[in-house]
Amino acid sequence: MNYHFDFSFLDGKVGALLGGLKITLELTLVSNLLGLTFGFLLCLTTLNRRAIVRWPARMFIEFFRCTPALLQIVWFFYCIPMMFDFFIGPIALGIIALGLNLTAFNAEAYRAGVQAVPKEHLDACVALGLRPWQRTFYVVLPQALRSATPILMTNGIGALQQSALVAVVAVGDLMYVGNRLATDAYRPLETYTLIAVIYFALSVPVAQLVRLIERKQDFATER
Amino acid sequence: MSVNFAIVFPYWRVLLGGLMLTVAFTLGCAIAGSIGGFVLSLLRISTNRWIKSAAAFYVEIFRGTPLLIQLFWMFFCLPVLFRISIPPALSVLLSLTMYMIAITSETFRGALKSIASEQHDACIALGLTPRVKVLYVIFPQGLLRAAPPLLSNVVSLFKESALISSVGIADLMLVGQNISTNTARPVEFLSAVGAIYFLVAFPLTRLVGVVETRMLRRYTY
Repeated sequence: MNYHFDFSFLDGKVGALLGGLKITLELTLVSNLLGLTFGFLLCLTTLNRRAIVRWPARMFIEFFRCTPALLQIVWFFYCIPMMFDFFIGPIALGIIALGLNLTAFNAEAYRAGVQAVPKEHLDACVALGLRPWQRTFYVVLPQALRSATPILMTNGIGALQQSALVAVVAVGDLMYVGNRLATDAYRPLETYTLIAVIYFALSVPVAQLVRLIERKQDFATER
Repeated sequence: MSVNFAIVFPYWRVLLGGLMLTVAFTLGCAIAGSIGGFVLSLLRISTNRWIKSAAAFYVEIFRGTPLLIQLFWMFFCLPVLFRISIPPALSVLLSLTMYMIAITSETFRGALKSIASEQHDACIALGLTPRVKVLYVIFPQGLLRAAPPLLSNVVSLFKESALISSVGIADLMLVGQNISTNTARPVEFLSAVGAIYFLVAFPLTRLVGVVETRMLRRYTY
């Protein structure tokens, strides 16, 4: 292993990398916002009493959970413009594909949180004469959110990693810029390592935070 | 536009070939990755601080970077670094396996943690050697408890394996994409590929639930 690392080709390319990073962050943040909001709504839909409301929601979730994210992205890029005859820009399409994928996964996280609320609490709500909306918003929601937080955050980092997939359909994110640099300068080793380090540096702090929250929760539930 | 799914059927043999390759890669990497993941999870509870943090670092690296980069890194960088030529299939196998090792080691770690500390004490009281303890007491219980999450790891590996298409392995994803560009019929072919992935993955996810409720209730203490 006597490879000579040489990062000098990066001169003047930092701007391009930063531009890619900006798009990656944009994809991640907006799809997380979508996923957190619609995931919760979707979770409520799957817990609806009526089967006719519940079923489409379940099918949506299963569809996004049981097909590859790469396929979903490619599908959105080729098929949505063709089927509906409109085009809304690659980044927006990427955000929609990633956001819907995250929505499905987050809905499951919220659902696990709701189902983790002890049954006794629901009985207590009846005993105290709370109305259904009071039960949902004051008893179930706070506890569900609390236990779902680590999974939601982990899914959020997952979205950062999956955002790299949009490079395959030529959206200029960090991965795509990295690919271009690697082939232009024929320096794959330096470029891919650098890109990996950037993704790593973005996701590790969040992962550590998740671990911290989990430890706190273990402690809280042990008492 | 008109959508006509009948044009998919003449291509079933090619699509099936792609699916076979996807399944082969998934199974191979899942088995190798699970064995490696168990070993790594043992290293993570080692008493040696260096071994422990090295194992944790490995997991962090592979969980903290996109799989696409890992694939590209193995594919483009290993040959440059070691000045050897690696066949594409091998570099893909290597990188999926290393990824899977990191993921399953977390699964096993959770399962091993749930084995009560009394059992470790009992092993000491019975004078079992560490090797016997790991093989006959820890491993069977760990495997049983880890079975449902391991299965869902395999399902996600099956989905993630679609990424190997980006380094030119003719798996289901690449085959589907190729046909869809050659026939200019992305809606039909990409949807069909999605349906195939779904038809394999969905029953497996149901199986995870079954394994969880049936096996665990019966066999764990």
